[in-house]
Amino acid sequence: MILRYVRLEMVRLLRDPGYLVMSLISPLTMYLVFTSLDITGRSGDAGAVYAMVGMAGFGAVGAVLNNGVSIAEDKPLGWIRQLRLLPLRPSEVVVGRTLCAMAVTLPPIVSICLAGGLVNDVALGAGQWAAVFVLLWAGIAPMAVLGIGLGYLLSAQQAQMAALTCYMGLSLLGGLWVPIARFPEWLQHIAAATPINRYGELSWRVTDGHAPTITGAALLLAWAAVFAVFAAYCYRRSARTP
Amino acid sequence: MEGRTREAAAEAAVVFTGAVKDYGTVRAVDGLGLRLDRGTSVALLGPNGAGKSTTIAMLLGLVPPDAGTVRVLGTTPQRAVRDGRVGAMPQSGRLIGGVTVRELLGFVLRSYAAKARGRAVPPLAETMEIAHITDLAGRRADRLSGGQAQRVRFAIAVAGAPELLVLDEPTTGLDIEARRELWASVRSYAELGRTILFSTHYLEEADDYADRIVVIDRGRVIADGTSEAIKRRVPGRTVGFDLDGPMTVLDGLPGVVGSEVRGGRVRLHTTDSDATVLALAEAGMVRNLEVAGAGLEEAFLALTERKEAVR
Repeated sequence: MILRYVRLEMVRLLRDPGYLVMSLISPLTMYLVFTSLDITGRSGDAGAVYAMVGMAGFGAVGAVLNNGVSIAEDKPLGWIRQLRLLPLRPSEVVVGRTLCAMAVTLPPIVSICLAGGLVNDVALGAGQWAAVFVLLWAGIAPMAVLGIGLGYLLSAQQAQMAALTCYMGLSLLGGLWVPIARFPEWLQHIAAATPINRYGELSWRVTDGHAPTITGAALLLAWAAVFAVFAAYCYRRSARTP
Repeated sequence: MEGRTREAAAEAAVVFTGAVKDYGTVRAVDGLGLRLDRGTSVALLGPNGAGKSTTIAMLLGLVPPDAGTVRVLGTTPQRAVRDGRVGAMPQSGRLIGGVTVRELLGFVLRSYAAKARGRAVPPLAETMEIAHITDLAGRRADRLSGGQAQRVRFAIAVAGAPELLVLDEPTTGLDIEARRELWASVRSYAELGRTILFSTHYLEEADDYADRIVVIDRGRVIADGTSEAIKRRVPGRTVGFDLDGPMTVLDGLPGVVGSEVRGGRVRLHTTDSDATVLALAEAGMVRNLEVAGAGLEEAFLALTERKEAVR
């Protein structure tokens, strides 16, 4: 039943592809501009690789947070309540919506990796490409769950504001645009604790030829747990209001 | 097995016992007690803010009671909904965009079919026929008229052939024609022997389509019975006549509890129409005399007003 629900939501999304295109265009444009400006402070190829991971991650973060906003937008339609009145388990609906969020991250991740390889001549081994791709995709799950929590908790307008704040704020703080090594030291400590930095780090470690760190993965998992509790709370709370 | 069947048949569709729900300092539902038997059509009436929507939200498991219990089909509301035994058409709400009516209903139908456990879930065509939406199957769900959308929402509620169907003000905002079509669909469904609970603002709908009417006010049941029984609860009748004389004759008429004068026509609300008419005749005030029984509307107003007066 989860897959049928995902299918229904994806049909809705694909027939109104406006924001799907948006979630792809802005990080892709930024990637191409950033790499020609050499904003990462790393010379040449290293900069292109860093920015590729950063902007693919940025696109993915935008896509999952947008998915949260679309939940908030479904509330005034009564769709969220209607789903509660169907014989579906709450977990089926929430997991289904998370899978939708994961699906919409594919266009930005794929297109920016392609742009990296084809336009900026990013050269990685086949195993590295595969690992980067999987980590960029799977690693976004905690943020997807956060987006879902915000969508259930907030009104459409509030959710949009919250999503934008998280999107820009956490992406910048997490080092998706500029490596956190260029931050002041006190800010580096804070940045290193954020979920998005640890999300990006998974892939940056791979492109630098290392395995992801245990600390990073554990921290990301901890964030996932926190966001899951938050989303579960928001889901339960949202039943009380139409 | 036979024992279980008998037990299931005896089991009520809905039982509220001392249900209480507060929103902050406002008590929306105040010790509500209510039992709905299977196979009946029940109308839930009440003025705005009477607690109808909260009652329905508790019945559907959307809102837990602060005190008391709510049982639906012998189990908890959440369980009954999750097992696909309840269908609901919530009060407000539009349909989602991007999907056709057939796609939307197909999804709803399969969600019920997945939990059916041996119960029959009717094919899509049958549900669309009951809801009179066969001709809308290929249309985008968000591009329908108000009446059409409401019939699709009704189809969503009945797609799983639920034992209990709950409709929260299903005809609010619809024109007369659309209301009639929706009720035709509800009636077809009731004829299958299902339990239906609906709330409405339109008293004639309660009068026409319910076997039983439950009037709630300030979160409590204040009247409960057939439409006739409720009307009888208000002993009042209306005596109307053309006034040609001073207003003072209206003072001290026996049985009169209220009066209206409009354009020379007087309408007296009386609890003893015989005595009122006799007194009027003695005073020579019987021009165009008319005595009418109280309708459901008068009964409803009297019941809910009296409650307010008591407080």
